[in-house]
Amino acid sequence: MLNYNPKRSDEPVWWALFSIGGTWFALLTPVTVLFIGILVPLGIIDPSTVSWDRVSDFASTFLGGCFVIATLALPMWHGLHRVHHAMHDLKIHAGVWGPIFCYFFAGLVSALSLIFLYML
Amino acid sequence: MTTKRKPYTHEMTRTWWMKKPFYRFYMVREMTVLPLILFTIFLTFGLGALVKGPASWQNWLDFMSNPIVILINIIALLGSLFHAYTFFDMMTSVMPLKIKGKKLDNRLYTGAMWIAVIVITVICLAIAC
Amino acid sequence: MSRIQKIDIMRYDPEKDAEPYMQHFEIPVNETTSLLDALVYIKDEQDKSLTFRWSCRMAICGSCGMMVNNVPKLACQTFLRDYPDGITVEPLANFDVEKDLIVDMTPFIERLEAIKPYIINDDLNPDDGPTIQTPAQMEKYQQYSACINCGLCYAACPQFGLNKNFIGPAVIALARRYNLDTRDKGFQERMGILNSEDGVWGCTFVGYCSEVCPKGVDPAAGVNQTKVDSAQDYVISMMKCQ
Repeated sequence: MLNYNPKRSDEPVWWALFSIGGTWFALLTPVTVLFIGILVPLGIIDPSTVSWDRVSDFASTFLGGCFVIATLALPMWHGLHRVHHAMHDLKIHAGVWGPIFCYFFAGLVSALSLIFLYML
Repeated sequence: MTTKRKPYTHEMTRTWWMKKPFYRFYMVREMTVLPLILFTIFLTFGLGALVKGPASWQNWLDFMSNPIVILINIIALLGSLFHAYTFFDMMTSVMPLKIKGKKLDNRLYTGAMWIAVIVITVICLAIAC
Repeated sequence: MSRIQKIDIMRYDPEKDAEPYMQHFEIPVNETTSLLDALVYIKDEQDKSLTFRWSCRMAICGSCGMMVNNVPKLACQTFLRDYPDGITVEPLANFDVEKDLIVDMTPFIERLEAIKPYIINDDLNPDDGPTIQTPAQMEKYQQYSACINCGLCYAACPQFGLNKNFIGPAVIALARRYNLDTRDKGFQERMGILNSEDGVWGCTFVGYCSEVCPKGVDPAAGVNQTKVDSAQDYVISMMKCQ
């Protein structure tokens, strides 16, 4: 039977994070992966650009810190939101624990990014 | 009088998405987040290593030079680009823009976003190097 | 120029069969024969028990939706010249099969009624004459008003297949049609259903609904734009609670 008076969903919160994360994923993740994931390890970019001093200084600046937090947190909110919905698509029934685990993990990475930066 | 109705329900299987190219494309689109999540976990360890000091940081850089890790990163890059392609396409539906009363053409809309990706990439690489 | 067309149709008689089964037919067709023409021919000439819905035969009534080679299509808009090697016809997916190609559309009708698909405006008075709407105002909702309630988008939507409580593409697009109409004041009355888990938030933008829509309604865009409305409504409701 159709429920004519259903409860309001909290989905807008997660969807907003998913959308912002998705925008970051599309615009900034490519260069991030390219730089630190491919060009630097392959030696195409000089390793001195990622010396501990240089990277620490960067992460310690306000904008650098914001970039680090965003690069870690936003894609996680985006990704785990999709994982949560993909579990439903694959008929993996995790009940209420599915979203709890997914968003907890995203929250964990976000918190770690803040904690690590504070410790730097 | 009892009814002669006996409606038949076809069950939907877990592999519904394998049955049509359109659905397979959707699944691949969703799965682009898996290499992304892996890469982000790598970066999280990287930040932790940075905090611990230069020796840990170097260990992490060596980890990132492992051929398997580089392969995962290449997959993550391809996933990011595929995500960008599908995400920009979805944006034209979710947030259509109007220029002077006329709907902005999809190709211009997505084209502008790709230009943004290129510009951001160039600027970031310039700042980093 | 006539040729023989092979057609495989899924049959089901609730009074006789435990489950549906395929039956093979061969009929003469030409360049103009539609699947609907073929079904009528079979019923007239070969098997009078074949049961299916149809009416206008010109893609405006929405009656003849069915699966053609596993793609939701209108039978009157499907031409056998495009299927020279054979065609498989099954009842519209994601709905219970009543008999042969007839499905139970009750879930669709229920959802449609729930979002109040009519102008809600107590201030409109017949004595005031016709309401005025500019072409720009009509343009905002016109594409969604093209929906013929055929249900192809429900057969296409895997989220409706996985969760039969999902309100679905056409109904959400039609809710949007009325929400965007300047004559309507029923936005809040519709948002309750739309704001729920089974409302707009049941959609993951697979997009196949828009691909199969015979009238170019683009329900995927309708649903996902309504997500923005729902998210705004959420923020407003959070602020009201303060």
